[in-house]
Amino acid sequence: MLAVAREPMTETTTPAPEPAPARPLLTVTSSAAKVMRDQLARRGTPQAAIRFGIRGGGCTGYSYLFEFEDSPRANDHVFVKDGVRVVVDPKSMILLKGTEIHFETGIRGHGFRFSNPNVQDSCGCGESIAF
Amino acid sequence: MASQSLSIHDTGGLFQIAEPEDRKGRARRPGFGVGIDLGTTHSLVAVAPRGAEPRPLADAEGRALLPSIVSYAGDAAVVGYAAAREQLEHPSRVVSSVKRFMGRGLEDITFSHPYRVVPDPQTPGLLRLDVGPAAPGGAPRLRTPIEVSAEILAVLKRRAEAELGAPVDGAVITVPAYFDDAQRQATRDAGRIAGLKVYRLLAEPTAAALAYGLDRGGEGLFAVYDLGGGTFDISVLRLRAGVFQVIATGGDSALGGDDFDRALAAHLLERAGATAPSDLQREEARLVARAAKEALSERERVTVSLPGVGLRDAVVTRDELDAQIDALVRRTVKACRATLRDAGVRAQELDGVVMVGGSTRVPLVRARVEKLFGRPPLTDIDPDKVVADGAAIQADILSGSAREGVTLLDVVPLSLGLETMGGIVEKVIPRNATIPIRARQVFTNYSEQQTGMTFHVVQGERELAADCRSLARFELKGIPRLPPSMARVEVSFQLDADALLTVTARELMTGVKQSVEVKPTYGLSSDEVDRLVMESLDNAGEDFAARDLAEARVELGRVVLAVRAALQEVGHLEAILPADERAGVEAALAGADAAMHQPDADAAAIRSALGQLERASEPFARRRMERALNAGMEGKSLFEVEDTLAGEAALDERRGGHSPELVDDDPGAPARAEQDVQKDS
Repeated sequence: MLAVAREPMTETTTPAPEPAPARPLLTVTSSAAKVMRDQLARRGTPQAAIRFGIRGGGCTGYSYLFEFEDSPRANDHVFVKDGVRVVVDPKSMILLKGTEIHFETGIRGHGFRFSNPNVQDSCGCGESIAF
Repeated sequence: MASQSLSIHDTGGLFQIAEPEDRKGRARRPGFGVGIDLGTTHSLVAVAPRGAEPRPLADAEGRALLPSIVSYAGDAAVVGYAAAREQLEHPSRVVSSVKRFMGRGLEDITFSHPYRVVPDPQTPGLLRLDVGPAAPGGAPRLRTPIEVSAEILAVLKRRAEAELGAPVDGAVITVPAYFDDAQRQATRDAGRIAGLKVYRLLAEPTAAALAYGLDRGGEGLFAVYDLGGGTFDISVLRLRAGVFQVIATGGDSALGGDDFDRALAAHLLERAGATAPSDLQREEARLVARAAKEALSERERVTVSLPGVGLRDAVVTRDELDAQIDALVRRTVKACRATLRDAGVRAQELDGVVMVGGSTRVPLVRARVEKLFGRPPLTDIDPDKVVADGAAIQADILSGSAREGVTLLDVVPLSLGLETMGGIVEKVIPRNATIPIRARQVFTNYSEQQTGMTFHVVQGERELAADCRSLARFELKGIPRLPPSMARVEVSFQLDADALLTVTARELMTGVKQSVEVKPTYGLSSDEVDRLVMESLDNAGEDFAARDLAEARVELGRVVLAVRAALQEVGHLEAILPADERAGVEAALAGADAAMHQPDADAAAIRSALGQLERASEPFARRRMERALNAGMEGKSLFEVEDTLAGEAALDERRGGHSPELVDDDPGAPARAEQDVQKDS
């Protein structure tokens, strides 16, 4: 018998309603797209894409993947906002359906925030998520 | 549909765009890997750049074998033939056969040797050799066997660099199959001190089998008969799915070709009528006997002279030699039979026998081995060089060269992971990670009764183990009995450039460990990879739901166990569990059982039962905890309490290593700084 070492889930939340069917698969705000474009340019790869995905692991199961992508794959979902491409692999798409990518600046520093209607639990660091 | 169990809770965490892991560029330099046979009496280095035939490298005088002798007679260390010449004059300061001291402590040294050994002041359990002062009157120099071996490796490294015309990228160093962890670690350390990146240690018999390309068959059983100057080793190897496994080893650490020389020398002295030969006469006879033995491998008879004892132009025949060494060869045959028995293998089941070591050139040895195994042994490759050749082929592959018959991969085609409770797959190495890669993850126990863990290594993208390819299973026994989730077992996955996966599980408290080696790509076509990936996409929704359900069941099962254990322990105490509360807990447990046994329960139903059980048992759990804390603190000083808390904090720290962690691919990197370790999440 083998168990994954992970903290017991402490938060219990009530299931939220289904996302409205009209909601787009992925939304990137203008401010988020602008930061992505600036960072791609600073990296010297203005034509590269941003990969957004989910991978296994993390203390409550899954975590977000958010990185530069130089060679998107054929079966990726591609979202274009103000000339910036965000790609999502088909498997991650299921868990990212309806997510909005924002860019925030505030007292906690600045960075991207994901509003994912599929997320149920989170660990303290905010990087791991449960569905 | 899956969407019912996927519900909202936002985190508020902020993210930055990361640089992809696999673009960090692990520098590999194909063709600059070397194979090193670090032997007891001789060592050698071979290269097989970019798929070439392996080729041992010679020194300026054309000699490939380097005597494994290091002289500290002067200021600087001298290695090889030059060191051998100083041996007679400075027996205690010229170190030979240092391999016997590797990874050993004073109590392990039961053989005779001319050195002064002292306990290592820095590493308890290990020893150092006192090789005397650098200059007369100076302080004595204490050298570890690792440092002495590093001198030999450094010479071989320089030889290879002169040949390759560039720095060595890394090395495969061979070790006896029976070397334990300490001896292997010592060998790795010696490589590192010599400035070599040690790709891998390779068992000597496996290296010999690789030199003959025996791995190409995919499956088989082989014996490796290794008769060196001073030692005899017999190993039985099983090849399964392209991976060699040593299933039994045996031999005699005090039997070798030198004994053949001594037996023939004694015979020659007897023929000369020298009943009480001096040391010098004995030495002369030994050298002549060795030359005669070597010549008799090619010819039926030779003529020898021993001027020191007045023997002139005496004819020695091969039969005469055979008669002298017959008993010695019989001893090796006996050891072979015993080892076959240990392996549970009959001689006729073997698919091949490999000859290693210069003494296997003796015709009587070959004849006896052929008779024992019922087939002629493999002798085409120079038996002195075959181990280094095999190591060179491995090193070439691990340097990143593509070789015939080897699938060389840049990235992991399918994720590699472990099955956990509930049949869920925990991915340890993700698909498309760059090879070579090392990742580790900490797992824990599920119940207090548990003293073993079964590890099921799987490959694939699906969420449930039943839908993935099964690669291997192994068991780790001897886990201490600890409350659920308190045991810590670190599992590391190492995937090398030749696609060999080594999975090692280690219990962190006791250090017990177990490992398995597999080739995940064996028998896996690219079509099948595509099919498995597509399947995972087609089934993603159902898979996530199934995983979610399995996880919920596991979690509920864990809490039920914990509550039952607490009831057993303190449930009878009215002060901790009042009767009315007890009824509520019992009811929640019954509800949990019902939910668990409901075949078509969904994750939401299980989680609801879990919530009820947690709420019903919360006051009980809190009072139980308070009681335990009070009992624990009574009569203890503040210092003790702080100490305990510090221990808890340290434990928490260890529990921190939950998620898979990608590790720098050089396990021997000197400074283990934070930037060497890349957190996966």
